[in-house]
Amino acid sequence: MLRYILIRLALLIPILLGVSLVVFILLRTGENDPALSYLRLSNIPPTDHALAEARTALGLDLPLPEQYLNWLGRAVRLDFGISYVTGAPVTRHLLHYLPNTLYLAAVSLVLTVVLSLPLGIIGAVWKNRWPDHLTRALAYIGVSTPSFWLGFVLILVFSVKLGWLPSMGIGGWRYVLLPALSVALMSMCINMRLIRGSMLEQMHSRPVLYAKIRGVMPGRILGGHVLRNSLIPVVTALGMHIGEILGGAVVAEVVFSWPGVGRYAVSAIMNRDFPVMQCFILMMTLIFVLCNLLTDILYAFIDPRIHLETSNNA
Amino acid sequence: MRRFFAFIVITCIVTLAASAQEGGVIVYSYPANAGPINPHMYSPNQMYAQEMVYEPLVSLGDDGRIHPCLAESWEVSDDGLVYIFHLRRDVRFSDGAVFDAHVASRNFDHILANRARHAWLELANVITAHEAVDEFTFRLTLTTPYYPTLEDLSLPRPFRFLSPNAFPDDGITRDGIKTPVGTGPWQVAAMRLGEYDRFVPNDHYWGKKPVPAGVLVKVIPDPVSRALALQTGEIDLVLGQGQIGFDTFAAMRADPAYATGVSDTVGTMAVAINSARAPTDDLRVRQAIQHMVDKDALIGGVFLGAQPRADFLFAPSVPYADIGLKPYGYDLEQAGRLLDDAGWRLEPGQTVRMRDGAPLVIDYCFVGNDAAQKAAAEVLQGMAARVGMLLNLVGEEEDSYYRRQKDGNFGMIVNPTWGPPFEPHAMLGSMRSASHADYQAQLGLPMKADLDAAITRVMRSVDETERAALYRDILTTLHDQAIYLPLHYAALLSVHRPDRLEGVHFGPGKSKYPFEDFQKKD
Amino acid sequence: MPDSVATAIPSTPWRSRAATMMLVLSLCVLALLLAMAVFAPWIAPYPPDHIDLAARLSGPTADHLLGTDHLGRDILSRLIWGARVSLGAVALIAVCILVTGFAVGSIAGWMGGWVDSVIMRVCEVFMTFPTFILAMFLVGVLGRGITNVILAIVLTHWAWYARLTRSMIISVRNRDYILAARVAGGGRARIFSRHIAKPVLAQLLILATLDLGHMMLHVSGLSFLGLGIQAPTPEWGVMINDARALIWTNPGLVVLPGLMILLTVLACNIPGDYLRDRLDPALADEGH
Repeated sequence: MLRYILIRLALLIPILLGVSLVVFILLRTGENDPALSYLRLSNIPPTDHALAEARTALGLDLPLPEQYLNWLGRAVRLDFGISYVTGAPVTRHLLHYLPNTLYLAAVSLVLTVVLSLPLGIIGAVWKNRWPDHLTRALAYIGVSTPSFWLGFVLILVFSVKLGWLPSMGIGGWRYVLLPALSVALMSMCINMRLIRGSMLEQMHSRPVLYAKIRGVMPGRILGGHVLRNSLIPVVTALGMHIGEILGGAVVAEVVFSWPGVGRYAVSAIMNRDFPVMQCFILMMTLIFVLCNLLTDILYAFIDPRIHLETSNNA
Repeated sequence: MRRFFAFIVITCIVTLAASAQEGGVIVYSYPANAGPINPHMYSPNQMYAQEMVYEPLVSLGDDGRIHPCLAESWEVSDDGLVYIFHLRRDVRFSDGAVFDAHVASRNFDHILANRARHAWLELANVITAHEAVDEFTFRLTLTTPYYPTLEDLSLPRPFRFLSPNAFPDDGITRDGIKTPVGTGPWQVAAMRLGEYDRFVPNDHYWGKKPVPAGVLVKVIPDPVSRALALQTGEIDLVLGQGQIGFDTFAAMRADPAYATGVSDTVGTMAVAINSARAPTDDLRVRQAIQHMVDKDALIGGVFLGAQPRADFLFAPSVPYADIGLKPYGYDLEQAGRLLDDAGWRLEPGQTVRMRDGAPLVIDYCFVGNDAAQKAAAEVLQGMAARVGMLLNLVGEEEDSYYRRQKDGNFGMIVNPTWGPPFEPHAMLGSMRSASHADYQAQLGLPMKADLDAAITRVMRSVDETERAALYRDILTTLHDQAIYLPLHYAALLSVHRPDRLEGVHFGPGKSKYPFEDFQKKD
Repeated sequence: MPDSVATAIPSTPWRSRAATMMLVLSLCVLALLLAMAVFAPWIAPYPPDHIDLAARLSGPTADHLLGTDHLGRDILSRLIWGARVSLGAVALIAVCILVTGFAVGSIAGWMGGWVDSVIMRVCEVFMTFPTFILAMFLVGVLGRGITNVILAIVLTHWAWYARLTRSMIISVRNRDYILAARVAGGGRARIFSRHIAKPVLAQLLILATLDLGHMMLHVSGLSFLGLGIQAPTPEWGVMINDARALIWTNPGLVVLPGLMILLTVLACNIPGDYLRDRLDPALADEGH
């Protein structure tokens, strides 16, 4: 197991290098001119002279591979340069906002798991009876609801009409509820259906049938074999949800004026503040990659067959 | 950790101060943090915060004229080259330091050490010497006469004054300051990135003491969230440009629970028309564009009457601009005739005019994520269609938009004027610079060289009548050549709940918000 | 196979009258939406960008059955044209993703070995990016507009399908009946198409059907942030984005395009669910 983890960790390095290369190349494609963005965002009139000066100052006159290596060298030391907009080090700002985003994402993930597990089990156990139909209807509607739209509806209902919860900003626990709910609903609904489907699949699997034939208590079958095995695809799916939740958090941060990386990054993208965009995507990617790794380890832990095969292949 | 404790201490002080003082804390919101609030630098330093914390030698008054501020009085030599300022003797910075001519001179050292950065402002280019004549007399010497010197000095930046204790230990203020400490009515109490900035009154302020016990500026980037926050009572006040959507504003104006305000003109929302590119290189096409726009419908439909209609590049209230020009009226027939004359014919059954087999298409460029600009563009597109002109909407990122301004790659481009005290002199001055859309749009004019020469002359002129005559010529030419399509004069908007706040009014200019006069109610 | 599954499990929800009704209803809605998309120019009462400032924000009237927006454009017409843009974009995205994902994933899963490793590393580079965030970034870099949005979403999603394909193939590759078929001397291609491609494709199709709505939400999410399809294109996400500024005064304007999205996604999900219940490989095992 340890060897597997170490191998996976080592494999991260080339992947992250690939990621950084992709990001770097993307930013240099198209009609982007970081020097012009820099001047505009600093309110310096973009004369040809100022442009040339900015290019030299930003190192944009060097050959591309050299630019990449310089950039990578600094990036490894967590130095992503200075934001064109704020003039402050990008990393410091993003690290300032990061805990807020992680907080929102974590609450959303907890909501997802806590709500989807019982609902999924209910759907499977009472299959085709009214609890199942109810959760099914909830799932359909939840999966079909745009999260930002849901955010506005929640604000209109709970902040404007009822006045129970704040409509924006960050503060005590009351502030996180609406954004987290708007982020979590979709993942929760998907997850709930996955759990249900996966449990049903397991209920009809051979070992369960044999167990039934052997006369094992239905409760023990459900708790032991069915639940454990149904969690395998669910764990994989959770990895997928983390990406969804991070993306959803970005949107929710805009709707709820939540001071997180997403809101910061959206305005950076609008402004084409390249250092912030680079740092943002690499940071989110790193988080995502670590979460995926965790998922895979969990996956291998639950299902040793996969673990052996993957590590042999690796 | 130290920052954390400092924050706790400051919060306690602020809380104590708030409880000790009448007035309460006004909660305002802004799309971003105030930045480091460096008086000598630009973005990300927000102008409203620079105006709260720092003061100029002379300031722009509500009447649009220059008034004494840190300088009680001043003298200008006859040749217009030497300015002598007599400073107030009772001015202290919020950290207790005294403001005198030596401090003023030191600030100018730092500002002018970064002269290239301020080159867009003509004054920065023409100051040749600055010195403290005695403790409270400060002298500026120029290389050439420059009549708008006082206007430039009144700007929110860069000619404002930082406490001598706040200068960096080495280097210049361009590279950062220790703390934002000025002589203005407010001082910074706390800043939290992405959440808020908090200001409290400057105890050493020489002027009238602020009424409220503080101003808390929450970071709310989005007008919709801002309107909701006002409604739910999370903020007390909306004030400024682009802070709130026009529909929301109109609804709040109709609602007795809110008090709203529309400021005087702070600039013009104009569209520059490219005279250097077909088909707008033809004067008749440019004139047709002027006639085809139903501005009243546009203002009623998009701005809901909250912005006054504009007929000229500069509002008549702008100095030298009230010269009795004749507006282009809304006249579809006239527009059609002009286009016919120019050879653009509308064939039966067609929707777009043609000339020599080419359709009448004009690229209309604007910032895509600005809701008001977007709506105006869509309306103009509809109006152009009525005379057989196809406006091709190019709503882009600000980046691409500014690139088009710079390289002249546009048919028409949204080009707001700068507002007082930049108008008309600084705005006209920039028309000579290739990196501005104005220059690019005017490039096709046969008299462009004369125009630029006249602008240069007007800046150097020390004779008031000559200046007025030159301005009349320049503005008349620009109007007759139909280079600008003025849409509306820009006005700031304010909304507050009268049961929570009173005494709300606008300050002079675009970025001075007089929080010190507002009264919070309990 | 699928038929025998249906008979083997009589309790499947799609046997009940109500469920069948729902399926038929959702298929009807889907057909209606498709008809709207195809025949938009003929059935919409107004052109989608016909501006009439005098009639702005009018409620439902005889002239404008669903009212008008902030520029006096007919909402009904824009919704109908929106079906064309939204469905068109999403369909294109789904097809591109499905084809790429299945092809790449099955090569990796079936071949195994170093091919698998290489492909999976490439996939992983793409999957290391959270989808929506990479899409945001791509649109930020490439510029806004419908083509870039489609490109961004395809680029960010194909790898997930590839990996899912691969993992499903690996998980069935060594199952008893595949091994049995191999022992019995079945050709690789035949085993692949009969025992693997079919269930895997079925699963992918279900996922894609269920994902259609998800894609639509991605597109509208980008539009919402001001990074997606640009006005005046009548796309539902753009309409929500436009109406967002009016949520304070006319919250109703946000509802209709939101409902269209909801309806479309529902109409995709119900048949998707039906397909899942009918073609689920686990259930297929039973009937085997």
